[in-house]
Amino acid sequence: MAIKFSGEFEVKRTPEEVYDFLTDPAKFAPLLPDYQGMSVQDATHFTVKVNVGISYIKGTAEVKMELAQAERPNRAQYKGQGSVAGGNVSLVAGFDLKPNGDGTTVGWQGEAQIFGRLTSVAGGLLEPLGKKQVQKLIDGLQKALIPASEMAG
Amino acid sequence: MSKSNNGDNWVGKPLPRKEEQRLLRGRGKFADDIKMRDTLYLRFVRSPYAHAKIVSVDVSAAEALPGVAASLTGAELAPHVQPFIQIGPDPAAKIKDYALAVGKVRYQGEPVAAVIGESPSLADDAAELIQVEYEALDPVVDAEEALKDKSILHEDAGTNRVWNGVFEYGDVEKALADAAYVVNIDKMHFHRFSSTPLENNVIIAQWDPKDERIYYSCNNSFPSFAIQFLSAHLNVHIDRIRVQTADIGGSFGIKITSYPQMAVCALASKKCGGRPVKWVETRTEHIISSAHGNERTFRDTKVALDKNGVITAIASRHIDDCGAYPRYEPLGCVIWAQVFPGVYRFKNARIDFSQAMTNKCPVGPNRGYSRMQHLWFLERVVDICAHELDIPPDEMRLRNYILPEEFPYTTPNGNLYDSGDYPKMLQVAKGLIGWDAWKQKQAAARKEGRLLGIGIGTTLDSGTNNFGQSQIINPHAPFSGNSQGANCKLDIYGEVVVAVGSCPQGQGHETTAAQVVADVLNIHPDLITVRTGFDTERNVHTGFSGTYASQFAVSGLSAVHGAAQKLRAEMKRLGAYLLETKEDDVEFGMGKQGPEVRAKSSGKSVNYWGLANIVNVNSAVLPTEMHDVTLNCRYIWRAPFQVPDKVKKYGRLTLTYAAQLHIAVIEIDRETFIPRILDYVAVDDCGTVINPPIVEGQVYGATAHGIGAALMETCVYDAVGNMLTSTFSDYVPITAVNMPTVKYGHTETPSPHSYSGAKGMGEGGAAPVHTISAALQDALYDQGIFIDDSFNNADSIFRAIVQKENGQARNLVKMERRA
Repeated sequence: MAIKFSGEFEVKRTPEEVYDFLTDPAKFAPLLPDYQGMSVQDATHFTVKVNVGISYIKGTAEVKMELAQAERPNRAQYKGQGSVAGGNVSLVAGFDLKPNGDGTTVGWQGEAQIFGRLTSVAGGLLEPLGKKQVQKLIDGLQKALIPASEMAG
Repeated sequence: MSKSNNGDNWVGKPLPRKEEQRLLRGRGKFADDIKMRDTLYLRFVRSPYAHAKIVSVDVSAAEALPGVAASLTGAELAPHVQPFIQIGPDPAAKIKDYALAVGKVRYQGEPVAAVIGESPSLADDAAELIQVEYEALDPVVDAEEALKDKSILHEDAGTNRVWNGVFEYGDVEKALADAAYVVNIDKMHFHRFSSTPLENNVIIAQWDPKDERIYYSCNNSFPSFAIQFLSAHLNVHIDRIRVQTADIGGSFGIKITSYPQMAVCALASKKCGGRPVKWVETRTEHIISSAHGNERTFRDTKVALDKNGVITAIASRHIDDCGAYPRYEPLGCVIWAQVFPGVYRFKNARIDFSQAMTNKCPVGPNRGYSRMQHLWFLERVVDICAHELDIPPDEMRLRNYILPEEFPYTTPNGNLYDSGDYPKMLQVAKGLIGWDAWKQKQAAARKEGRLLGIGIGTTLDSGTNNFGQSQIINPHAPFSGNSQGANCKLDIYGEVVVAVGSCPQGQGHETTAAQVVADVLNIHPDLITVRTGFDTERNVHTGFSGTYASQFAVSGLSAVHGAAQKLRAEMKRLGAYLLETKEDDVEFGMGKQGPEVRAKSSGKSVNYWGLANIVNVNSAVLPTEMHDVTLNCRYIWRAPFQVPDKVKKYGRLTLTYAAQLHIAVIEIDRETFIPRILDYVAVDDCGTVINPPIVEGQVYGATAHGIGAALMETCVYDAVGNMLTSTFSDYVPITAVNMPTVKYGHTETPSPHSYSGAKGMGEGGAAPVHTISAALQDALYDQGIFIDDSFNNADSIFRAIVQKENGQARNLVKMERRA
């Protein structure tokens, strides 16, 4: 089962600032919904733990992430693979950064492939839930990229 | 106690099933009821992927859990076992099939590892701790795509094609050239479903280190087949494998292919020092990974007809989908040819048959195995042609049926149909349903714009296989003929005890076997004990023993009859000696001291205890010339088959041909598109009926399975091989709530090929699938819609209607008028 998502938003940060944020696991990973923790293997690999709750299926998912494309300041792409009770997930999430005045337009797109029994027992819930979680991530990302000066204001 | 006098009285009587006493009172003994001391419990870790490399399997956390006895992985097992036997020839013979995945997984739900714990829940917890890392591969879930070999399941085979062969008879091209009409049908599809048993698979295995034997208690329904696979796989002499079955809560062929799980349980027991290991399959495991029925696609069909609508030739290309591992396949590539022309007379035919592997659950010989797909195809062909030529469906069938006077009938591929009267069955069914009245109601309904259809499905239930047909698939296959064993004895205290090599799952073998013996010995069936279940130690099985393929009434009861006749002959001889008379003066019956043999001339008698006493515990009084009398008689019945012509694909593939004719009246709701069965008739002809209620029960059961398959049950996979119907919420088996009232009818054309005239029955040929497709076709033909799939529910009907209205429907059928 494939869930595709895409969109774009604008932030008042330079592409370099946005790129550095997106490619820093310590900053990016905690924005994942229901984030529990993280371990960093090397500069491009880290593992995040997130809580998963889909109806009565609850548990912790460990997702191994890889920064697969890193073209500062234009593009970053993550690939991830993880498992949770009843299923596995493979995901690809990319960010294309374009200068936009004094800010940056962030185009984001991705696809999650879900495998396993989860697709049967929760198939109808996965797409709306997945999109909701992606929106949470993007909302968090936008919020985190608001310049400190605007936050204070 | 009632008493029969002249033999042949109990066969044919509506005797209540002996089994009901325990089954209806909850006293049945099923595999999960068996409790053994020190039992460990096994859980499988299954693949979430349909196709992936196994990068690593980490069992350390699971094994560290207190109460976990052991774990097993495919990599650990592979060096100690042989890959399972493959029935097919190269390249399929090169497939390496292990009970746990080795190197890669090929369907979602494939067992990757097993963990064995002190309790079921502990094993569940431990299974969650096993970490498997996968690298996803491209899956292929469509058989036609699989044949393109873009993504290969089994690299050792180098192709996804399991088998291909052309079955050609007569002169198809001439018939097409001479035809008044040629109907072309682009594509039809028989869907994947699985006739669901109430009881899932259960295995208890013990690899006893004391005698190096493997003991199984399980519900496998073809144990003599399973032990042949297990013996070779486990490198264990076949006599060291004991299999026992008890009551079985349905199988429908699905439990035939549980031998991989049986292997894992035995190896787990061995690793755990010989402690019994029990595996009880969950419902989801059963749905995703036990076995499904074969899915089949029918391509490029051409049908030649004369000016009267008589079919003169059929040419078609069939692609069968057997899932990720062949296992019982590619036998399905020839089993359908048992009913090559169905109930029809056409002589010219060419079927190009291929089988492909896909990343889906392996198939098993599901009720109506391989034949129902072909019979559905034929019934769709007949119906579509009838509509195209504007011939009423009943008339179309009458013009094409094999006629009663043509029996025994040799089919184009050499099958010998034993007997039948299909026009009479149609007449009986039409009478039962009130055909003319429904036709009038249909005409009125159509004027109101209602979608009401009447459909006929005629089908065959071929029983008692000639396993020589496996040599059409693989000339080197070491199987041919068919046999069944039975033992009939007078036990030490004179009890009549019968053992059979079958393992019934509700078919009433204990009752029907008792009826047969009762007639031979002229006593009441209640005086006969028929052993429950299968046991290799009874030594009555042959390599074909089990319960499958509609054959017990012929093979099983012929063996029972043979054993009973042998016992009767010994009893007669012994009785004559003891009663000081001639054998032809000895008669059988009931006396004051129970069942006895007596001298007609003198009236002297000796009861069964007396006979058994002299042979077993008082043998000093037995003269030397009687020392060969054992009163313990084993008989092996063998079917009169020869090996078919492997090149011409010609020969007798089955012994008997029961027939079913169903009629359904269905209305499709205009608002919801839900198809509702308004009336239903099932007429059955299985030759001489051994026990009418048992036959009737099996007809109802097969009808339920067929209706479920046609309207409710389908195995749905998404594009990457996720099975989306893994629970009863999504895979909805039929229950009593969904069943219409079925009007049952019966005709009887005794088989000349069995001693009793009976024909094997029980599978029903999936008649309702054909019948419901035909009724839906009748309802929707005026809308320009052809029924091209065997599964139809409100959703698919809605889509078909919308597609037609939007002009998006495929042009499925084209007719050429040559006249």
